[in-house]
Amino acid sequence: MTNEKQITNRIIVVASFMLIFAIGVGYKLFEIQVVEGEKYRDLSEKRIFKNFEIPANRGNLYDSNGHLLATSVPEYDIRFDAVTVSEENFNKNLRPLAKALGKLFNRPASHYINKLKEARNTKNRYYLVARGVSYTQYVQLREFPMFNLGAFKGGFIAEQRTVRELPLGKIGERTVGRGQAGLEGAYNEYLQGKNGRRLKQKIAKGQWKPIGDANELEPQDGLDVYSTIDINMQDVAHHALLRQLEKYEAHHGTVVVMETKTGEIKAMANLARTSLGTYYEKRNYAVWEAQEPGSTYKLMTLVAALEDKVVDTSDVFDTDGGKVLYYDRAVRDSRFGGYGKISVARAFEVSSNTVFSKFITQGYQHNPEKLVNRLSYMGLNDRIGLDIKGEGKPHIPHPDDTNWYGTTLPWMSFGYGVTITPLQTLSFYNAIANDGLMVKPRLIKQVKDKDRLVAHYQQPEVRNTICSKETAAKVKKLMENTVKKGTATNIYSKEFSMAGKTGTCLTNYGSKQKDKEYIASFVGYFPAEQPKYSCIVVITKPNRKLGYYGSTVAAPVFKEIAHAIHTDTPITKEFESLEVENKKVKQAFENYYATAQKFKTKVPKVIGMPAMDAVALLENLGLRVVLKGTGEVKKQSLEAYTDVKPNQTIYLLTS
Amino acid sequence: MGKSFLPDWFTIFLYLILVLFGWVNIYSASLNDAATGFFDMNQIYGKQALWIGLSLVLIVIMLSLEAKFYYRFSSIIYLVSLLSLLGLFIFGKTISGATSWYSFGSFSLQPSEFAKAATALALAKYLSDIQINIKSFKNQLSAFLIIILPALIIIPQPDPGSALVYLAFFFPLYREGLSGLYLILGFSLLFIFVFTLAVGSLWVSVGVLAIALLILFFNRKKKRKHISRYVFLGGLAILFSLSVNYIFENVFEQRHRDRFNLVLGKEVDSKGIGYNTDQSEIAIGSGGLWGKGWTKGTQTKGGFVPEQHTDYIFSTVGEEWGFVGSATLTLLFVILIIRLIVLAERQKNQFSRIYGYSVAGILFIHFAINVAMVIGIFPTVGIPLPFFSYGGSSLWGFTVLLFIFIRLDAARQEI
Repeated sequence: MTNEKQITNRIIVVASFMLIFAIGVGYKLFEIQVVEGEKYRDLSEKRIFKNFEIPANRGNLYDSNGHLLATSVPEYDIRFDAVTVSEENFNKNLRPLAKALGKLFNRPASHYINKLKEARNTKNRYYLVARGVSYTQYVQLREFPMFNLGAFKGGFIAEQRTVRELPLGKIGERTVGRGQAGLEGAYNEYLQGKNGRRLKQKIAKGQWKPIGDANELEPQDGLDVYSTIDINMQDVAHHALLRQLEKYEAHHGTVVVMETKTGEIKAMANLARTSLGTYYEKRNYAVWEAQEPGSTYKLMTLVAALEDKVVDTSDVFDTDGGKVLYYDRAVRDSRFGGYGKISVARAFEVSSNTVFSKFITQGYQHNPEKLVNRLSYMGLNDRIGLDIKGEGKPHIPHPDDTNWYGTTLPWMSFGYGVTITPLQTLSFYNAIANDGLMVKPRLIKQVKDKDRLVAHYQQPEVRNTICSKETAAKVKKLMENTVKKGTATNIYSKEFSMAGKTGTCLTNYGSKQKDKEYIASFVGYFPAEQPKYSCIVVITKPNRKLGYYGSTVAAPVFKEIAHAIHTDTPITKEFESLEVENKKVKQAFENYYATAQKFKTKVPKVIGMPAMDAVALLENLGLRVVLKGTGEVKKQSLEAYTDVKPNQTIYLLTS
Repeated sequence: MGKSFLPDWFTIFLYLILVLFGWVNIYSASLNDAATGFFDMNQIYGKQALWIGLSLVLIVIMLSLEAKFYYRFSSIIYLVSLLSLLGLFIFGKTISGATSWYSFGSFSLQPSEFAKAATALALAKYLSDIQINIKSFKNQLSAFLIIILPALIIIPQPDPGSALVYLAFFFPLYREGLSGLYLILGFSLLFIFVFTLAVGSLWVSVGVLAIALLILFFNRKKKRKHISRYVFLGGLAILFSLSVNYIFENVFEQRHRDRFNLVLGKEVDSKGIGYNTDQSEIAIGSGGLWGKGWTKGTQTKGGFVPEQHTDYIFSTVGEEWGFVGSATLTLLFVILIIRLIVLAERQKNQFSRIYGYSVAGILFIHFAINVAMVIGIFPTVGIPLPFFSYGGSSLWGFTVLLFIFIRLDAARQEI
């Protein structure tokens, strides 16, 4: 009996344990569902409703003539959910899909068959089919077999994102910039716009349904920024620099072209060498790289000396056989033996280090601070304060510095021991061209909201007057002579006048490296009489065996740019050649027009025509044109005067 | 069989209700845009419908076998089951971290779901032997061995949740006369474990000492001579507490620690480690009294609760059917388990009774741990809700388990 009672007790223990638990569960359920239900409903709503950012469209970046420099385009990543597709659909569509993909991406269909099968076997729900396809390709892909069944049945996943496209490609890439850099970074405030918001409800995994008709906050598109860059000049500068860098196998180089009166930067090219020997826009050297300028700095010290009246251009100094000693260290002229007794003016033209060191030492040795103050007053110790980020800081040593030696002053006279960026140097030369008025280099021209003008930067921003008109006139003459009969005679041209100064600077004099490395530069303006543009060319570390003088390495780039811009700029009064160019273009157009009228159903003869005209002509006839090269057409694949068939392709070969 | 074959229709009725209600919820939890119909085999609910159909075939087989068969072959079934578990170490397939599956093409089977029934059979067979006395320590040890062997093989797969279920066999053992001291011991260890994690070893030690002193105080007159015994037990308790602390800090992985800390309220984190539980609580809580209605659950549709069609299926019930639905489901399980205990008690032979208690125990433990986990009062361990959660193995495992007992019960007049 006790046994039975014991058992009954035990059954009761077990059953009550279970019941107590069940009641506990019931209690807890009651608590969270009924008592605190409200709280959880709130939490639930917080999770199903979410505000989504609607990204604003970024504004476009244009050059000064309204050509696109940077714009936003959509780009797609195409992925494939290999699990969601039914066996039947997969088997039926695999081959046609692979074939279509193969055709689109130029790959064998078997490649895609294998990959897609593998994705299915490994149950990959996110297989990457193609990355970064364009909108047109995306539209095509959407219609491919299997993909056209949609996301659930066809496993088609397309992820859109917006990328920035630079229609000019590599040209001026650094100047245009990206993110925080370049023009994009500088005028981000204008370009970025304001993101909007939209409330959405989560209705299934990864699916959000918009609530209501309107956005919570409408996105505001970014404004369009028109920069001062002129793509034609940029193109000229880019290619002139590139050719020279390639020719001299230089490490890197930079070119800046600036409008003298306004300070508008018309072109800014920066190229650096890769390990393969090709060049690309690596970083903005013009803005960033503060380095020892060498002889181009002679203009600054000469202007300072003239302003302080410690010397005049007609004063004569002895070059002492091309070698002057200061505390055991020798200042040498680049010409062995020196130049005899020459005036300061001549010393500038031939870039005599000895004369410069002499008159600067003579003038300032008892009060070197005066020179430093003068240079600082001329703005050479401060950043320009560009909109573009990352401007290098110039440097001028001060007599109070611990590393101010007896040799500092004489070496400063020809640009050693000081640092300055190419753009800062250019801005000084531009001030001289402007008769002493320094304007701030500027990259922005106007800001537009669609067609409405938001901001217009017209007035040049004057920094200060760096010297008297007389001093400016004096040194301008010297710079003109530098090209006529000084260090840069190699770029002298009868057709148009240029003025400037060469620089050849040894960069690694302190290091133990055996091979010497140089920076070749040329900075100046043109035309010499009525300066319209100023331009600096700096080519760093050219191959020493091929050449390293500022005159041979850098100056020709200057000339090429000056020449190209010159012929493009309609100052017709002075330059006959421009008329000739126009006649040629007119003739070409007349030819084109005549041919276009004549040939409506037959292939015309386009040999000898400018390629651009030929392409336009042929495409208007419905032909597909494949062009190789640029310039005049030398060969055409379809015989002239034969009938045009639809969808025919013609190959053109140029010189 | 003849006329004496009378299965318990009430239990079968409960079974069918649970399975169908389960499918209804799986349908809601796994519904998406690609659905074509109730039996779309590409969809989770379509597959579950197939598993349900096949379990009806299983039921027919289970019921048509002789009751004696289960008794006679119980040892062999147990051995085969152990082998199938061991075989996983060689042929096993890993799904979401656990090597618990045999894979046949696109179809996988989890042997641990069937091992429970096999262990119940083996235990029933062993204890029902006339020569075996549950009071003998040696026999207790053998019984423990039968129970713990499959659990030991399952733990390293790793599947601690499935191993935990073997605690269920404590119910039949207790019913058959296992000393209540084990019950006290088990609960003491559990309390020490929980309190050590909650307040630390020091306070547990203080508590143990205080209790020991109290006992000593009240028993002063009678049992002075047992002092050494109390000191020994107290020391053991403190030692256990310290070792729990050590194991928790040094043997457990961070994710395990996190799960305990969350339940104990030591950590609050709704984005990372506490995500599952948090989401499931929100889903259930937002259901309110009456629920949001079938396939209308916003949390369920939004796919917020991970594994909602399997281990967290209860949250769908909570959200869409409300307190009324979830309480009813709890009640259904309570009724089923009580019915099973009643059935077990009416058995004339020990084998059937022990087996019946095992079934009741297993279903209870599964239900208890699963629901406690889903509503956030127990750490996250992945075990399914019987008859409810998605999955062929689990459904078939429970079907086999239950219907062996129904067959045994139907034959109670025979043996």
